Amino acid sequence: MSFKINDEILQSVEKPTRYIGNELNSVHKDLNKVKIRYAFCFPDTYEIGMSHLGMKILYHLLNEREDTYCERVFAPWTDMEAKMRENNIPLFALETHDPIKNFDFIGFTLQYEMSYTNILNMLDLAGIPLHSKDRTKDDPFVCAGGPCAYNPEPLADFFDFFVLGEGEEIINEILDEYNIWREEKASREEFLSRIAHIQGVYVPEFYSVDYNEDGTIAGISPKNKEYPAKIRKRIIKDVDTVYFPDKIIVPFTDIVHNRIMLELFRGCIRGCRFCQAGFVYRPVREKSPQTLLEQARRLENSTGYDEISLASLSTSDYTGFAPLTEGLIKEMEEKRINLSLPSLRIDSFSLDLMEKAQKVRKSGLTFAPEAGTQRLRDVINKGVTEEDLLNSVTLAFNGGWSGVKLYFMLGLPSETLEDVAGIADLGSKVVSAYMSVPKEKRGKGLNVTISTSSFVPKPFTPFQWEPQDTIETLREKQRYLKSCIKSKYITYNWHDPELSFLEAIFARGDRRLGRLLETAWRKGCKFDSWGEHFKFQSWMEAMEECGIDPYFYANRKRELDEVLPWDHIDIGVSKKFLMRENEKAHRGEVTPNCRANCSGCGATAFGGGICIE
Amino acid sequence: MEEVFALNSIRVRFVRGEEVKFISHLDLMKVFDRAIRRAGIPIVYSEGFNPHPHMVFGLPLSVGVTSQAEYADFDLEDGFSPDEFMKKLNSSLPPGFKVMEAKIISKKSNIMASINAASYSILFAVAENMDDEALAQKLADFMQEDAIVAEKEGKKGKKAIDIKPMIIRLELKKPGDEREGCRNANKDSKSACSDMKYMDPDVWLEEYVESLYRADVLPPSYERESIRRIDALLSAGSMANLKPELLIETFGRYIGQELKIVKIHRTGLFVEKEGKLLEPLDGNAL
Repeated sequence: MSFKINDEILQSVEKPTRYIGNELNSVHKDLNKVKIRYAFCFPDTYEIGMSHLGMKILYHLLNEREDTYCERVFAPWTDMEAKMRENNIPLFALETHDPIKNFDFIGFTLQYEMSYTNILNMLDLAGIPLHSKDRTKDDPFVCAGGPCAYNPEPLADFFDFFVLGEGEEIINEILDEYNIWREEKASREEFLSRIAHIQGVYVPEFYSVDYNEDGTIAGISPKNKEYPAKIRKRIIKDVDTVYFPDKIIVPFTDIVHNRIMLELFRGCIRGCRFCQAGFVYRPVREKSPQTLLEQARRLENSTGYDEISLASLSTSDYTGFAPLTEGLIKEMEEKRINLSLPSLRIDSFSLDLMEKAQKVRKSGLTFAPEAGTQRLRDVINKGVTEEDLLNSVTLAFNGGWSGVKLYFMLGLPSETLEDVAGIADLGSKVVSAYMSVPKEKRGKGLNVTISTSSFVPKPFTPFQWEPQDTIETLREKQRYLKSCIKSKYITYNWHDPELSFLEAIFARGDRRLGRLLETAWRKGCKFDSWGEHFKFQSWMEAMEECGIDPYFYANRKRELDEVLPWDHIDIGVSKKFLMRENEKAHRGEVTPNCRANCSGCGATAFGGGICIE
Repeated sequence: MEEVFALNSIRVRFVRGEEVKFISHLDLMKVFDRAIRRAGIPIVYSEGFNPHPHMVFGLPLSVGVTSQAEYADFDLEDGFSPDEFMKKLNSSLPPGFKVMEAKIISKKSNIMASINAASYSILFAVAENMDDEALAQKLADFMQEDAIVAEKEGKKGKKAIDIKPMIIRLELKKPGDEREGCRNANKDSKSACSDMKYMDPDVWLEEYVESLYRADVLPPSYERESIRRIDALLSAGSMANLKPELLIETFGRYIGQELKIVKIHRTGLFVEKEGKLLEPLDGNAL
């Protein structure tokens, strides 16, 4: 029996609008005219999933196809899940409320490791076998993409295939192949075998992993020679002409990012050594200001939103920044649309821009020095000096700002207590900078917030070999930093290191973690990134039961010649380059950004963007 | 030269359908704000730091309640006829909202402040052993009481209040009317059907009850035969406000049954003028 939700259930749960659909610009199709039904799944709540730009793009792109109907699926909140389980209501898609079990594709987007338990929970709620090997011809194909797919191994048991890189082209190639395959009524394996030849598709069951006695990996290789030994990611060469929707869904209820988002460019020129996005999205490819202005106009007309934000990795690095923002402000002012700016490199231009764009209180400016001393900032290749920071905040204080947020990471490679104390020191210098500004110029009520997160070593970064600090060490450093902060103007916030510890395990995990994930989920772990649902104890018990040593994954230093679980994935940036960067980091040497000088990372091979400019 | 805008205030009645019954009052205002932006309707904005559009909505609806009698006032820059406004707005509102009437309001009256009463059709489920005659008798007895004490949830916990003065009229009805519904009358025309539904609460409620027992939907916890309907005219607005949920809860306690609310549908809002209740778009109310 499978039933759709009724009003009685909707009345009894928190935020029923999460489950009803019907929003403006949501797509409704005649089911008799579509051949492929695609469930785009975001393994978190509606409010988070609906804020994700990639989902908006792919949803509308898929629905441009006449033969395909793409619908949205989110993780039901725990109150709704309880009602669904109690009444045998299977996981449904938002547009039709049809159970997704009968769809052709279930596509998850992997944005953060701590959403993995929700994936299992959603498959279970849908009534789809969790393990790829248990699925039959009556089941949909379950696939995933997104940043965490670059190390797909911890999820290898649960997915039929992964899509590496940007999805706009490859998704159509896969669906075209599906149409042909279905006509021929060939086997499930046959379909996977065919798409395994498309660049960017990774079918984990076609690869085998061998282990050494010490638990490290001996090798990863295709079981059959016809499959590529290395799976290379896909990129869109020309992002200026790539599909971008004219319409996006306007939710009834408030979501995290409830506005038009413009994507100025993909990739990042900086190469901060801790940042996975800075490497996996290479090379940098920009859209033109004209294209962006046109996209802003169309979206404004189709949504009625009163706010536009600029979404990219390091917005200040956009070469068309001045013409774009000036154009946006000019056009949007008469339409009463606000331009919401991300954290920018602070100079007189950006301060002036903020003044014009944001008619809000001059409360908070955000800076991310990431480390407390110049030595450590050089190690991580964060091209910011203390002087830069102090000049920026002085400029801002002179302009009437009075609030500054400073973001740092604790546990970066080679960090000492001196570096930790440097964070507090930098905080006091910001306070002094404020005090040195004449009273009549600066805003009232200085507030400096220092926030620290815990460093998580990620695959495809120069720090992929580095150990994470243990939970105890991280706590110690937090306590020490707290004791170093003396000023009453400084507030200190820190993250619990337990979540970062788990994140570190899964970020660099291998196939053996599949069992751990399943065990933890069976113990009730889900919504791990939501503080109130995070069950660290259950995770530790699951590790015990599965015989998994968490320190092996999180806190162990890898040798440069160790085979890493993601070595068969090719992001274009070479392992040799990452090794060089790792060695430079330990010598405290910086690497210039892509625009200043090419450092030969390997992304040139894609023949696009900044590499060919 | 100074720019001068002659103000043009338009009042509309609109339907809030099943598709949008779960959105909050705040979200409802955003829906209209965005629809007006998309339609390029020249609404007047407030002055100041954070300008907002001049629009005022009548009595907020509880989440889950549908209505065919919602009202809102909009201040427009001159040169927009009510018909034009209605047409433009309807072409831009999401499914589930539909403006049915629009009129110029001559003087600045505020719809939010002037509502005095609201009418509802309320469907609820009774225990099996209750027949219609018994229920009618109970309702008549209920209305004969000098005072009807209800427990209202307030900010400081429960409070006993007398709701009798706030009950203007109660009437026991059949859940759906037995007349030919729109399904028979307009078999070919879906839009005519939805229009008919938007004009006739009987059609709306009948369709709703149908939808509860559709084969692919989880059946409700009550039997179809146990559904009863009360049409109520109740005090509403800033002076005295009785929510239909509280009325049914109190009536249920009176007859010793926990009545399950199946559906609430608002059928009218009224302003009081010289002792008479008038619809907000009545010529005498404008």
